[in-house]
Amino acid sequence: MNNQNRLGKYGLRALVAGVLIVISQPLIYLIIRANEKSGSEIFALLTRQKTFEVLGITLGLLCAVVFINVFLGTAIAAGLHYVHIPYPRLLFVLTIVPLAIPSYVFTYTWIALVPSLEGLWAAVFILVLTTMPYMLLAVSISFARIDSGLIEVARSLGLSKFKVFTRVILPQVRRSISAGALLSGLYVLSDFGAVSLLNVETLTVSIQNLYKSSYDRSAASVIGILLFLAAAVFVSFESLLKGRDFESKGAEGFQQPIRRIGNAPLSALTTLVIGLYALVAVVLPFYVLISRYLQNPQAVEISDLATAALSTISVAAMGALIAFILSLPLAFLLTQGKSTFASISEKVTLMAHALPGVVVGLALVSFGSRLGPLYQSVFLLAFAYAVLFLAKSVASTSAALTLVSPQLKEVAATLGKSKSSVTMQVVFPIALPNLALGVLLVFLTAMKELPATLMLRPTGMETLATEIWSFAAISRFNEAAPYALLLVLIAAIPTFMLTIPRSAKSESEKKVRSL
Amino acid sequence: MIAGLGIWASTSTESGSDQVKELTIYSGRSEEFIAPFFTQWEEESGIKLNIRYGDSAELAAQILEEGKNSPADLFLSQDAGALGAVSTAGLFATLPDSVGAKIGNQYVARDRSWIGVTGRARVFAYRPGAVENLPLSVTDLTKFEYKNRVGIAPSNSSFQAFVTALISEKGEKVAQSWLEGMKKNGAKIYLKNSEIVEAIDKGEIDLGLVNHYYVWEVSQALGREIKAENGFFAPGDIGNLINVSGAGILATSEKFEAASELVDFFTSESTQNKFVEETHEYSLISGVESPAGLPALTKIGSPKVDLVVLENIQGTQDLLTQVGLL
Repeated sequence: MNNQNRLGKYGLRALVAGVLIVISQPLIYLIIRANEKSGSEIFALLTRQKTFEVLGITLGLLCAVVFINVFLGTAIAAGLHYVHIPYPRLLFVLTIVPLAIPSYVFTYTWIALVPSLEGLWAAVFILVLTTMPYMLLAVSISFARIDSGLIEVARSLGLSKFKVFTRVILPQVRRSISAGALLSGLYVLSDFGAVSLLNVETLTVSIQNLYKSSYDRSAASVIGILLFLAAAVFVSFESLLKGRDFESKGAEGFQQPIRRIGNAPLSALTTLVIGLYALVAVVLPFYVLISRYLQNPQAVEISDLATAALSTISVAAMGALIAFILSLPLAFLLTQGKSTFASISEKVTLMAHALPGVVVGLALVSFGSRLGPLYQSVFLLAFAYAVLFLAKSVASTSAALTLVSPQLKEVAATLGKSKSSVTMQVVFPIALPNLALGVLLVFLTAMKELPATLMLRPTGMETLATEIWSFAAISRFNEAAPYALLLVLIAAIPTFMLTIPRSAKSESEKKVRSL
Repeated sequence: MIAGLGIWASTSTESGSDQVKELTIYSGRSEEFIAPFFTQWEEESGIKLNIRYGDSAELAAQILEEGKNSPADLFLSQDAGALGAVSTAGLFATLPDSVGAKIGNQYVARDRSWIGVTGRARVFAYRPGAVENLPLSVTDLTKFEYKNRVGIAPSNSSFQAFVTALISEKGEKVAQSWLEGMKKNGAKIYLKNSEIVEAIDKGEIDLGLVNHYYVWEVSQALGREIKAENGFFAPGDIGNLINVSGAGILATSEKFEAASELVDFFTSESTQNKFVEETHEYSLISGVESPAGLPALTKIGSPKVDLVVLENIQGTQDLLTQVGLL
């Protein structure tokens, strides 16, 4: 390794370390606050029966949602990809659209349909609806990338369709299933909207209760650290489960249109399951929002709607861009092969992802209020989004960069290009569409964020999410409906773009020819 | 997009001696009810208000976190507890006797760090016809005849204020056994007062401990008559506590004069009349009528509780946590 590369390597690591320090602010805050309590107080708080109950509920909810996502999500994704069904493209889009609906809007709409909805199972139901698209997106992209040559070989060797699926296909998508499970699990840990409305006290609800009803920020911080530790255990558990990397690299694979299974009962069952999912996760929530809006269409001021929409879009976009920039050093490091430093850094961002908006919000109030005019500016709010959703950005940025074939980089290098110009002229242009999708994903997540937005937005600024909150807080759901509807419709646009199939491979080939 | 972001630059700072152009308000009162009052004052005074709406307790926690760096000039809170938390941290300025002079002393912090604006009576809401014997005291609710029929909102600040008063008046042991009794008696837990009233309307529960205006508010929101009415306990019962919404001026504010003019506006007779009409809360000055269909504030038979004790919600919190209601 020459000196320039060595310098590059350490420079990159220093940048990653810098980013980690920046996004660790909430954790540092939790430790400082928790430290205000004495050891015996902390012990008493952690060992009281209530803490065990809340921890039990949180873990139960986590396991149930992840379990359902893994099995139902993989089945739905496989059905969408391998079974002959009517309008597969439309059905795929419908299964991803729920990504545009925040968990609190899901909950409001379902409570409107089933007024008695509450409790643990209701929370499992709502959170499965909320997180399923993460699983479906991850697994579908993987299915699309599978080497179809392998499938043909397996079939020609006489393996049954079921065995082809379990022995050839599943091992190749295992990592994606695991990644989907991770994202949905971390979402469950940090969710406040659904669980609080359904009267389920998870760790996140406990934190909110402790700080807002007793102003006991130290106790809230102790529980916050407990939540962080739970996330740490979950993240480590996931990396044990995901096992070795079986996935074939995109550019090497041999792909041709797959033959869908035409078995009539299986087609009917698959269509029914996907149709039911689309009904409960898309059709019914939209029906509720639209009918609530139509009950009182004159109540809403178009100018208020437009202002809130504009604020929402601009600050979420800024947050997504900051997250993207912050994700670059770690994403590059992750594409450069395995190292302990890279994998620990990745895990830290994932654990931080489990911290709820209220913790990140309070931490940034504490640090931010010392920053003068920066405090309660859109920049600080956008920064909060970047901290909250960096893990998503890192995952999609590194995935996009990994998709650029290593051979291509070598070809470019042999043509006399320097490492940095390979990155700028070859890797980035090819990865661009997928990088943009990653930014879109963070953008749409940030649009839906509520607790940190309430604390950090500029005084007087309303976003769609805060407007929904303020009407719902005084039980005026009809007036919240148009804001919710607009939020979901705007978020549906990037969501739809996420479902457009893309191939990094063909881009790579074009680029090679142009070199 | 630029126009939408114009708000960034709007928080400028002026020194006290200059003509005040803007005030920053943290409002725990919801925008829906309070915004017209703010607008009226803006027009009358020529001072622009930057208003941050939020939950009273969350805003108080935010002010505590901001400490001396808080950009807020005035904090308008839904209840005395949140005001007390800010006051205890020493973040409020002392108000002279001339500010909010019409408000009776029982509704003002003893050190005049905050001042009451409107009154909110604790009541039991109940489903007419469903309850054979209406409770005479809040302590009756632990009896078997109310088993699984009562709704409470332990994480809500209005309930916590009531428990704080209960601890202060009857002692922690009585409060603890009452809370444990409620839990044992199958009291249903809700997050908000309005959810309790909605649950009564739906028939999920028969009674609930709420503030007096929620029956009116939920009925307004649903646009129909609801199956819920307000009931008062026997005169003097701690269950009839009167809490206040109120305002305090931040010690770090450089615009004390302008902020205290806003407090005077809130406590003027014409504004108080409008509060009663539009929010169904009680006025805290004499000569203003009580909300339609409700007894006068002086006729409720409210317990004599010094609202200063509501500042001590830490103890309440610990107790609620210990009992397992939080």
